Amino acid sequence: MADAEKKLPSVPESLLKRRKAYAASKAFRIKRLLAVKKARKAERKVIYKRAEQYHKEYRQMYRREIRFSRTARSVGNYYVPAEPKLAFVIRIRGINGVSPKVRKVLQLMRLRQIFNGVFVKLNKASINMLRIAEPYIAWGYPNLKSVRELIYKRGHGKIRKQRIALTDNVLVKKNLGKYGIICVEDLIHEIYTVGKNFKSANNFLWPFKLSSPRGGMNKKTTHFVEGGDAGNREDQINRMIRRMN
Amino acid sequence: MCRGGRMFAPTKTWRRWHRKINTTQKRYAICSALAASAIPALIMSKGHRIEEIPEVPLVVEDKVEGYKKTKEAVLLLKKIKAWNDIKKVYASQRMRAGKGKMRNRRRIQRRGPCIIYNQDAGVTKAFRNIPGITLQNVNKLNLLRLAPGGHVGRFCIWTESAFRQLDNLYGTWRKPSTLKRNYNLPMHKMTNTDLSRILKSEEIQKALRAPKKKIIRRVLKKNPLKNLRIMFKLNPYAKTARRHAILKHDPKLSSATDPGKNHENYHVLHADADFPIAVESAIEAHNVGGVAFMQNLKLPYNLVPDGRFDFQVDELQRRITLTTHKKKKVWGIGMQFSGAR
Repeated sequence: MADAEKKLPSVPESLLKRRKAYAASKAFRIKRLLAVKKARKAERKVIYKRAEQYHKEYRQMYRREIRFSRTARSVGNYYVPAEPKLAFVIRIRGINGVSPKVRKVLQLMRLRQIFNGVFVKLNKASINMLRIAEPYIAWGYPNLKSVRELIYKRGHGKIRKQRIALTDNVLVKKNLGKYGIICVEDLIHEIYTVGKNFKSANNFLWPFKLSSPRGGMNKKTTHFVEGGDAGNREDQINRMIRRMN
Repeated sequence: MCRGGRMFAPTKTWRRWHRKINTTQKRYAICSALAASAIPALIMSKGHRIEEIPEVPLVVEDKVEGYKKTKEAVLLLKKIKAWNDIKKVYASQRMRAGKGKMRNRRRIQRRGPCIIYNQDAGVTKAFRNIPGITLQNVNKLNLLRLAPGGHVGRFCIWTESAFRQLDNLYGTWRKPSTLKRNYNLPMHKMTNTDLSRILKSEEIQKALRAPKKKIIRRVLKKNPLKNLRIMFKLNPYAKTARRHAILKHDPKLSSATDPGKNHENYHVLHADADFPIAVESAIEAHNVGGVAFMQNLKLPYNLVPDGRFDFQVDELQRRITLTTHKKKKVWGIGMQFSGAR
């Protein structure tokens, strides 16, 4: 049946097949690793350029306001700056004895715990919601430093329904990549200049768990305008954020 | 006196004692039990000591059916190395735990091997006094004896004719049973049971993704506002921005300045290790001319040498103050855009 020359191979065929398959997959893996590395390097460049561009953009935004008001003043006119688009809302009261409407509004804004903070886009609808929940929240218009510090220090993302710390741009890219947000700087930019994908970017951010304000609050049961803490305090919210972040 | 009253839910004799099971199901069970009795792993896991028996299933000659003396039976068991199982039965003879003791169920012991014969020419009498042994006629197999306790895999010793009878009783997959009306062996749930071979096969391996051997663990979050490296990891531009900020606010460069607003931009260059020129050569160069001087300076940042600058060379403090007329500020990332917005 078998020739005299044909012997059994020294190594079983299945093993040879395995080795070949392994070698092929290894080559493929190495090639892919190099491609990934290259892509990562290019990505880093893109992130750098974007951050640089945003830096310039923020500077321009800042100077533009100043310039407009100056030119207006110089001809005796008045410059009315645009109404703010972004608010930062902090819940300052606890969870007991809350009326149902207020409770629902706070739930909708994801403020389920005392000293939780969220960013909110300001429009007629959301301003009215803030009015309903006024005695329970302190809110205002955050500046760039507030936005950056909050996201860098206490930024966590909602990833597969879990609260995951933003320790790497990869986490941002995987979840918000489809909106063109690939790094934390992109995220900050989207939040600060309320962009087209603000809703997704903001929803990605888990509500900020802030510390209680160092140095204390004034009187959380009354409105800010009467010497307390509740309600809209416009720019003064930044001072509060510094104490709570 | 004793307490009165009747017991709760007095037990009645008309409790439903019997259960109806379909015949095919009963036969399925017997087939499964017989199949299990042919797998050494299952028999061992049931606890029978079958390490030394010649093979499984264990079949002996028909002469065994003619044994009359228990001594012959014991000799047979010793010769086929099944005696260890019996010894285990002896070792397991003990008092029952519980009230069964006073209810005529005082002593308990293990089950030993099961002898299955075709015709009883005395085998029952020979083997029945050996503890643990059960005798069964192959034509009347009892599931309670083949799978005692509900667990399959009892050690069975067959006589030759009993073993041959199984084909007639249950059939093979090729022909149905002759002794049972309209009965065939049940179909396999899995025809190829060599699991490791299946899993390593080409077809399955090709459909799998590569195994993820790397364990990804949680990274500790560090504060980018405090930890430089983490900041640069998240934002590569932060490095240059911070450098610019440091240079701008470096006290060596800005100490002589008036920190007022809207002043002309100027830089104070110290002739120290940062810059490759000495004050003397600077003065010299200064006397020579502006642009060449600028080119020699090798500044750490970009200043456009358009010729429109002044120098004040301070020999006492070894300082050159360079004033440009361009309102070009160096902005750092630490700039606070505080105020109205």
